[in-house]
Amino acid sequence: MAAGNNSSKPEGISRRALLAGMAGTALAGALAPGLIGTARAAGNGKIDLGGYAGPELTTEPVTLRFMRQDFTPDVNALLEGAYAEFTAAYPNITITEEKVPYGDLQKKLLVYIASNDAPDIMMGRTDFADAYHAGKVALPLQDYFAPEYVADIPENLRNAASSGGNLYCVPWETSVMLLYFNRDLFEKAGVPTPPEVEGLEGGWTDEELIARLEEVNAKLKAAGDNQSWALAAAGQGNGGPGANYSQLESIWIRSQGDPNAAKDSSAYKTLMGISDDGLSVSGYIDTPEAIKGMQYYQSLFSKGLTPLGPVPNQFPGGIAATYFGGLNFTNRFRVPGQEPKFKWGVSLPPKGNIVFNGNGSDSPLVWSKAKHPAEAVALLAFLCNDKNRLAFHKAWGSMPSRTSLRTAMSEFATEQPFKMASALSDASYSVPRTPGYFDYFNAMNPAVKDIALGADPAKVLPDTAAKIDRLLAKYK
Amino acid sequence: MQATAAKPPRERQWTGQNSNPILGLAMILPAAAALALFQFLPLITAVLNSLQSFSPFDQSSTGWVGLDNYAELLADPAFRSALLNTFVYIALMLGLTIPLALVLAVLLDKRLPGSTWSRNAIIGALAASEAVTALIWNQMYEPSSGLFNAILNAVHLPTQPFLTGSSQALISIVIMSVWKDVGLPMLIFLAGLQAIPRELPEAAELDGASERQVFWTITLPLLRPSIIVALFMMTITATRMFTPILIMTQGGPQGSTTNLALYSYMLGFEFQSPGSASASVVCMLVVLALVTAAQSFILRDKEAK
Repeated sequence: MAAGNNSSKPEGISRRALLAGMAGTALAGALAPGLIGTARAAGNGKIDLGGYAGPELTTEPVTLRFMRQDFTPDVNALLEGAYAEFTAAYPNITITEEKVPYGDLQKKLLVYIASNDAPDIMMGRTDFADAYHAGKVALPLQDYFAPEYVADIPENLRNAASSGGNLYCVPWETSVMLLYFNRDLFEKAGVPTPPEVEGLEGGWTDEELIARLEEVNAKLKAAGDNQSWALAAAGQGNGGPGANYSQLESIWIRSQGDPNAAKDSSAYKTLMGISDDGLSVSGYIDTPEAIKGMQYYQSLFSKGLTPLGPVPNQFPGGIAATYFGGLNFTNRFRVPGQEPKFKWGVSLPPKGNIVFNGNGSDSPLVWSKAKHPAEAVALLAFLCNDKNRLAFHKAWGSMPSRTSLRTAMSEFATEQPFKMASALSDASYSVPRTPGYFDYFNAMNPAVKDIALGADPAKVLPDTAAKIDRLLAKYK
Repeated sequence: MQATAAKPPRERQWTGQNSNPILGLAMILPAAAALALFQFLPLITAVLNSLQSFSPFDQSSTGWVGLDNYAELLADPAFRSALLNTFVYIALMLGLTIPLALVLAVLLDKRLPGSTWSRNAIIGALAASEAVTALIWNQMYEPSSGLFNAILNAVHLPTQPFLTGSSQALISIVIMSVWKDVGLPMLIFLAGLQAIPRELPEAAELDGASERQVFWTITLPLLRPSIIVALFMMTITATRMFTPILIMTQGGPQGSTTNLALYSYMLGFEFQSPGSASASVVCMLVVLALVTAAQSFILRDKEAK
């Protein structure tokens, strides 16, 4: 894909582009009323409460608190506009919000729960659905949403957001990890670019990716380019190795697994990442397959293909041949005036035994002890209605979490990065299911970093498995 | 004109006879209340929490477990490593900061050219935000694009891993902390040096003592109270070192930079174990008490007895 030559209408985060997108969305909604089945009549029909199907809202004065991450100013403005629309329809409801740095969001949520004075709505993650269930942290939402709305969430994502038969959070978006590449750097090195496929077949394997990156690295160095890297530093989390196991580094381990293998095989256990009861990881994250996956990951660092520490904006800055990023990069690179200064393309993440994608994603929940649960769910449903969601995805660039929204966005039917992202999302897996995923995640990130820095995966993974087993014991 | 002899002011002496006990109590009450609220209550809470287990979800107590949390800690190799690292941090910080601070204080006390600039620079580092300093040093230590490796490469020395190598990460953090914190003991020493009567070294010099003899036999013994204060301050600083470790290495690689402060934080906030975290904090306090008690014993003034 060449910068600036996309065939579709460019999507922007400028106000003009945003308004155009919202107008287009409203038009699409008007022309295709049956496209997205939701219970629009609920809430007295004052405004579109999306999938809300709970009781009528109170007329008593109510204050709702919403804790979320801070977005870019235009996305914040979008949400603030939505609050204004909601309070105009329900003047008795006041909305206050607290913006928290993204990295602190889940810690803050836990602190609020411990304080017994949590906001009514909090931005959670599907990753912690089992914790929301086991700790009775979140309100089961299925009774407040129309069944057709819930069914519109793809099954794998719906399952990720559910536990014990209850839906605990509403996926706000979904996560895909794509392999971006700088076509100019590959051309300069004389190395073929990764295959730009639309489905899950035909991408590079782990071995092919590493071999090609080595080739790119060697040829760029031979051509006197000592500044460029074969693979950019991670853009997630803290930006270095061990940045975000859920979304990024787990690819290297869990792709070595096999969903069709026998349940007691190490290949199956490698994919699952945890025992069925969610309390043991020994024999799951330290299998020969997992060790092999981490050896591939380690070689990226030991062969000097990617930096050992955080280096921001390498790929957008044109000094890295490849980068693992979400769909938001595709959207960002399509914005007129924000195109990168190089030609780019998108391929699949490397294939081990399978092509793996984790679907852990931001998902607001309603606190189980919220004083006004119906009003809180109604606000959440309003924020998740078609108009607000489409406007959000156009501005923020992330991938929608409902099938009908993807259908409403034409690029998912016509453009390669979006088609591939859709295929990846459909085949994605939740994080390993345990009420202690916060512990799991926080133990895996430093282990992955240690491996990147040279520690032996065959030692680190069993040690980490033993540590996680100890940590999960408290959830018995 | 008749000169009047000025009466010497009567020296007021505290006899305790006219004291108002209620007023006295009222005067110490704010300080006592603050101490109780901000020092003793958290300490007692930590000790009590260390004997309980908690729900990992809402952190509510689920019952008394005796010394189980301590037993769990001792069984955790990461705790033993953090305990050892805490002692290493203390030893290195004291071993590097105190002599360096003393040298800097002596040089500044001589009022050499550039002294004012140097003093301001050192105090500037002390005043700088710990987090910002750690971020800047993190960049300077970066293996591929950091300043230190660029200098090494310029003189044809091999690239060093610094924060990414388990053998160098701890000392790299200590060096940054020494750079940042040396100002505090230096100021203490400077104040101590300026309190030494000038006649003493001058008299010694007149008697033929060399500069080195003056330092070892007059200056250093008279600096003893300042050294004790500086040692205690730096021991506390080294024991509770947290921000640079969290920012620069997050305790890695392979736990090589994790100390008890970071270990406790991780147990409490990343691994949802407030009981074990409290037990770890109590252990850290015990370490601090033991080290300072040992220092008091070693540095006690034997002649004063």
